[in-house]
Amino acid sequence: MKNKYQPNQIKQLFIACTIMLPLSFSLLAQTPSTLEVQGQINDGTSPIPGATVLIKGEQRGAVSDFNGQYSIIAQSNDTLVISFVGYTTVEEPVNNRNTINVVMQEDATTLREVVINAGYYSVKDRERTGSISRITAEEIENQPVNNPLATMQGRMAGVDISETSGVPGSGFNIQIRGRSSIAAGNAPLYIIDGVPFDSQSMGFQDTSNGILPGSNISPLNAINPASIESIEVLKDADATAIYGSRGANGVVLITTKKGKEGKTRFSIQSATGIAHTENRVKLLNTEQYLEMRREAFANDGIEEFPFNAYDVNGTWDQNRYTDWQKELLGGQANLKQLQASISGGNQHTQFYLSGLAQNETTVFPGGFNYDRITANSNLNHQSDNRKFEVSLNVGFSLEDNKLPNFDPAFTAPNLAPNAPALFDEEGNLNWENSSWTNPLANLEGNYTSASQNLFSSLSMGYHITPQLQAKLNAGYGTSQLKDNNTFPHTMFDPAWGMDSSASMIIVQENDKSFWIAEPQIHWSKEWENNALNIILGSTFQKQTFDRHGLIAIGFPSDRFINNVSAATTLIVTNENKTEYTTQSLFARVNYNLKEKLFFNLTGRRDGSSRFGPDNKYGNFGAVGAAWIFSEELKLPWLNFGKFRSSYGLTGNDQIGDYQYLHNYIITDDQYEDNIGLTPTRLFNPHFKWEENKKWELALDLGFFQNRLSTTLAYYNNRSSNQLIQYPLPGTTGFTGILANLDALVENSGWEVELAAKIIRKKNFKWNADFNLSIPKNKLLEFPGLENSTYNNQLVIGQSLNIVKLYKLQGVNPETGLFEFVDFNNDGMITAVGDRQYIADLSPEFYGGLNNNLQYKNWSLNVFFQFMKKRGFNEYRLTNPAGTLSNQPVGVLDRWQNPGDNATMQRFTSGADPEAFNAYSRFTQSTGAISDASFIRLKTMALSYTLTLKDLTSCKLSLQGQNLLTLTNFKGADPEQLNGFMPPLRRITFGVELNF
Amino acid sequence: MKTIIKQYQSHFLKGITFATMSFLMLLSCSDFLEPDDPFGQIPYVEIFEDEATAIAAVTTLYAKLRDDVLLTGNSSGLSVRMGLYADELDFYGMPGESAFEIYQHQIIASNSAVQSTWNSTYNLIHMANAALEGLEKSEALSQNLKNQLRGESLFIRAFSHVHLLNLFGNIPYITTTDFQVNKDVSRLPQNTVYEFILTDLNEAKTLLDENYIGEERTRVNKAGISALLARVHLYRGNWQEAEAQCNSVINNTALYSLEPNIENEFLINSNSAILQFKPKNFGTNTHEASTFIFISVPPPFLALTNSLVEAFEENDLRRTHWIGELSDDTQTWYHAHKYKATGNTGMSLEYSIVFRLAEIYLIRAEARAMQNNLQGALQDLNTIRARAGLENAVAGSQSELITAILNERRFELFTEHGHRWFDIKRLNRASQILSPIKPGWRETNTLWPIPEADLLINPNLQPQNPGY
Repeated sequence: MKNKYQPNQIKQLFIACTIMLPLSFSLLAQTPSTLEVQGQINDGTSPIPGATVLIKGEQRGAVSDFNGQYSIIAQSNDTLVISFVGYTTVEEPVNNRNTINVVMQEDATTLREVVINAGYYSVKDRERTGSISRITAEEIENQPVNNPLATMQGRMAGVDISETSGVPGSGFNIQIRGRSSIAAGNAPLYIIDGVPFDSQSMGFQDTSNGILPGSNISPLNAINPASIESIEVLKDADATAIYGSRGANGVVLITTKKGKEGKTRFSIQSATGIAHTENRVKLLNTEQYLEMRREAFANDGIEEFPFNAYDVNGTWDQNRYTDWQKELLGGQANLKQLQASISGGNQHTQFYLSGLAQNETTVFPGGFNYDRITANSNLNHQSDNRKFEVSLNVGFSLEDNKLPNFDPAFTAPNLAPNAPALFDEEGNLNWENSSWTNPLANLEGNYTSASQNLFSSLSMGYHITPQLQAKLNAGYGTSQLKDNNTFPHTMFDPAWGMDSSASMIIVQENDKSFWIAEPQIHWSKEWENNALNIILGSTFQKQTFDRHGLIAIGFPSDRFINNVSAATTLIVTNENKTEYTTQSLFARVNYNLKEKLFFNLTGRRDGSSRFGPDNKYGNFGAVGAAWIFSEELKLPWLNFGKFRSSYGLTGNDQIGDYQYLHNYIITDDQYEDNIGLTPTRLFNPHFKWEENKKWELALDLGFFQNRLSTTLAYYNNRSSNQLIQYPLPGTTGFTGILANLDALVENSGWEVELAAKIIRKKNFKWNADFNLSIPKNKLLEFPGLENSTYNNQLVIGQSLNIVKLYKLQGVNPETGLFEFVDFNNDGMITAVGDRQYIADLSPEFYGGLNNNLQYKNWSLNVFFQFMKKRGFNEYRLTNPAGTLSNQPVGVLDRWQNPGDNATMQRFTSGADPEAFNAYSRFTQSTGAISDASFIRLKTMALSYTLTLKDLTSCKLSLQGQNLLTLTNFKGADPEQLNGFMPPLRRITFGVELNF
Repeated sequence: MKTIIKQYQSHFLKGITFATMSFLMLLSCSDFLEPDDPFGQIPYVEIFEDEATAIAAVTTLYAKLRDDVLLTGNSSGLSVRMGLYADELDFYGMPGESAFEIYQHQIIASNSAVQSTWNSTYNLIHMANAALEGLEKSEALSQNLKNQLRGESLFIRAFSHVHLLNLFGNIPYITTTDFQVNKDVSRLPQNTVYEFILTDLNEAKTLLDENYIGEERTRVNKAGISALLARVHLYRGNWQEAEAQCNSVINNTALYSLEPNIENEFLINSNSAILQFKPKNFGTNTHEASTFIFISVPPPFLALTNSLVEAFEENDLRRTHWIGELSDDTQTWYHAHKYKATGNTGMSLEYSIVFRLAEIYLIRAEARAMQNNLQGALQDLNTIRARAGLENAVAGSQSELITAILNERRFELFTEHGHRWFDIKRLNRASQILSPIKPGWRETNTLWPIPEADLLINPNLQPQNPGY
């Protein structure tokens, strides 16, 4: 530039431009002039912060600040559209005014004007034909949690979310409208700012399985919940069919915060808090425990305690008592975080920048912690003529996690209460002459992970004509997860005589990257009472995943344990590179008549590299319709009423890559000079996606000026062509094969959502939301189930979440042993014949109740989550009562003498095979399940906002998560029953400064 | 400004063209959906058309036996598991480990060690069958190489079934990779299984060479097949055939002779060895050494039972050379010390032995005794005793001689692949020997249960073995 133009040329150019500029505008408008409009928005008494001011016909706009003030660059002939949830939208022509103050009228009917993100398009709540649930920043910000999924728990009808572990960095189980797949993935598709986000954990069993359940490391941990504007969950066919083979399990749309026009604004927030475990299992104390052990040996007729009965034979101090759950899980984690954001912009260009730095320790003894840094940015631009628009979002995150190798939640309940001290007098780990495994030894080694995530999305659009817009959505992202497990020799009993030549590190590196491009054409036309919207688009997506792992053994000293190059032995454990590509066409046709009748047609033709050569493509689609009937009825108390219904077909392709290939894989089974070569799997070339047919009927109603609004929905989804890792007997050489089967799974249910504005005084407001889901899961068909390998897991007409158990009859008063129902009357209790009791572990109903109260500057949010279900109880993972292992206090009600009526059988040291077997069966019987229903005070947040000056405000808040649980369940936690660390209670105090 | 707009327009016209093109591409360009072959994987059809990969697919079978399945010297192998199950080893680890349940005879049908033994062995059989089928179809390999690899695969298949048969009783014999067949298989009478085993071994014997592949004894040859045949005939009581197989090995003096010094028995160049496993990494040694040897007391995992150590005759060289001991102030613990080298020794010193000549002598002794050739039996027995520095045994009755041979097997073959257990089981002495020392002992413990998971999936495997 500098070289090209001389100063005088620049002058000429400038003059030319100043002449050209009004000229060029004159082509677009008649006699415009640009001016800055300012003003205040209020409801007649108090200012309305957060109201949107838009230039009519554009996407550009500003938002009012805490004092209701706004400012926007507009042209003299523009019209401002001022809107805010719960108020009638106001249109004000600018008419050359510089100050426009607006008084808004409350009108709850406008709730229906909220624009809902539906993925490829957005739709007004009033006009939507599909089933979409939503939470917004307001609700998200009340919760002191790390993962966006945690913010959704209990708050959406039909969405069942549970945390897999309370350890930082772990994952979530999420099911939208139930479990539709018997064996393939049930995870929804995640879309962030228009780009699919691969939510599959990169965690690998070699390194992370001991501490993070199922090696599930949620990639969504990379998303800072505070950077989210809204989360929408698409549930029915109408909303999900446009996602084709990936829409079957529902779609979660995450929209991040965007820049808004106006003065540059800063926000800084700092929070600090604590976290700890909420509940523990009640276990025997030393006295009770030793009584149990002595009685067990006496029952078995053993008079002299064997050498390895260390707890009772005098090896261990019999007066010691340690509450191992308190010792190993009872610590207090410290939470610290700092966030900041800047946003602003002018009429053409807006930006938003935010950052988060966070540190969290754990409840385990020892120096474990989780650190996270995230950054988000958004840039929007519109051309002068407003025909072209572009939006760029970039998110980046770094996470460092340092945890124990194994979750002590498994060992803590089993350790004898009189087990030895953790440290000897010199402060070294105490091994008590090799008579126990010191639980802290695990903490000598640790699990560390470092992850990075870059996620970007770009959206460009150009209006070729006012009706026709060409669009391109594109995205690129990479993520890395590097983790390792160290096993220094100090983890092991010195009696093994190990030195650093036995120290070991397991290293795993995972790299994932993807790109996506989605060219689209949007066309819309309105005439008289009709409106038509058409979208046509295609998708190209490619994802590559690299994974490799090493084990390094033998170091000159444990100091070098992280330097694999210092190891004497290096073993490559895995080395993988996979590709996943999809190629699709999609379309939407939306028609409405008089804004009362709506029809929505969506479809997708999907190709996926995950399927065999004969089944590369599949077609999916749905039709949805809605009828707004309230205007015909004109009932005073009913201001809104809509019927909607949809039916369609979606698919599920979550079955892993390359599963149709018949390959050998290179393994580390070297022999002589040859590499190891092992068959990867049993060969089946004929599989394809699962199909899911969804049907829904719903009624949306608004009463009393929408002070009470409700949605009632019934859905019925049927999944067929089930992809199954079909379990096979070991005699086939493998334990299963992947195949499609004509099984049919039905998910049906009722969903109720209620929103009420209970009190709307000037100084006191109380809003409440309630949601309830009553799901039903049922296996309808399974050809040849009786002769199949699933016969012991599934039953036609029952849910997929059943377990088959022995039916406990109680303790025989004569023998003192557990007895079970002999279903097949063969005189014996066998797994095949008698594990016939069916227990359904799916939730019967679940939901949440959210209350928002505002009094002057105070605001209080109280959210309860509830669920009714059954689950495995505290006995499920126990060893037989009487062996060297602590027990829940319930075992004390045991049989002692003939004639006793007891709930638990006689104690055994393990030497009595009959008692041992009976107890093993007990843990697989109805005795090992109980009611696991709960009501949980999930969130409580209290905040006080202090307005200091015009735009400056300060907010103090106290927030708590998982504060209180009402339940009859006696295990550690009724929500999460896998034996890992339960979700933690978290309490934080925060200060937020806006200026 | 106008030009800018124009540029945008032309840009977007291109965009539209691109979009339209991409729709069309979707219909034509299906390569996009054909990913590259996954890294580190080779299509099955190519494996047996290339010498290096075909050989590797078969040598992997040995590697699996060495590191994971049945014969491995680590804690998941029969040396440890059956040593604990019989009267060879005491368990010092933590209660609750699967080894503890084996040691205590607290096995239930869902026992994880039982399941893993079953699954890993059938997985190995699948691999052998995959190799046999691949070799059958192969066009590129020479007939010689095909014969060699087929012989080795048949050997591994038969050997795996021999162990399953003796652990679980009636079992299916798996000869295909077709899961549709294998998922519904039924258990066969033991005699039928043995017929299949013999068919495989007899064919392998015709396919394999007298000599080893390469310098070392780490791939099976004809003598290896004879050694297994001798053991199979012994287990079945076919004394004549057992003796004949032994003869063919013992008479092959060019390759095999008893190491006169028992210190050399387990070294890499031992003349006693008929088949050894080559360690995975250059310079490393056996799993057995690191599993059995302990260097502090009380032992953290395993020790030899006192009853075994005390039963050795005085001056038995095997007691002094093959058993190590360690004491604290009050007590002494013993460990197997047949394999002594641990870690990486630069050059490997010891290889884990699968078959060795001493076993062949003892099989022949028993076979001869059962055929009433007491003199011949005594001669073989004394060959082994002499090397151990013991006086000759003297002639007695046939049953006394059988007991003497059983004892000699105990002292010679302890902690090697569960010989002790299989011996006391086949000679019906398990109950007499184990009931006093194992509180969990029941008559039905002579067989392990069919894993519960398999029984549930494939009802044809019913009935469960008695007692489970």
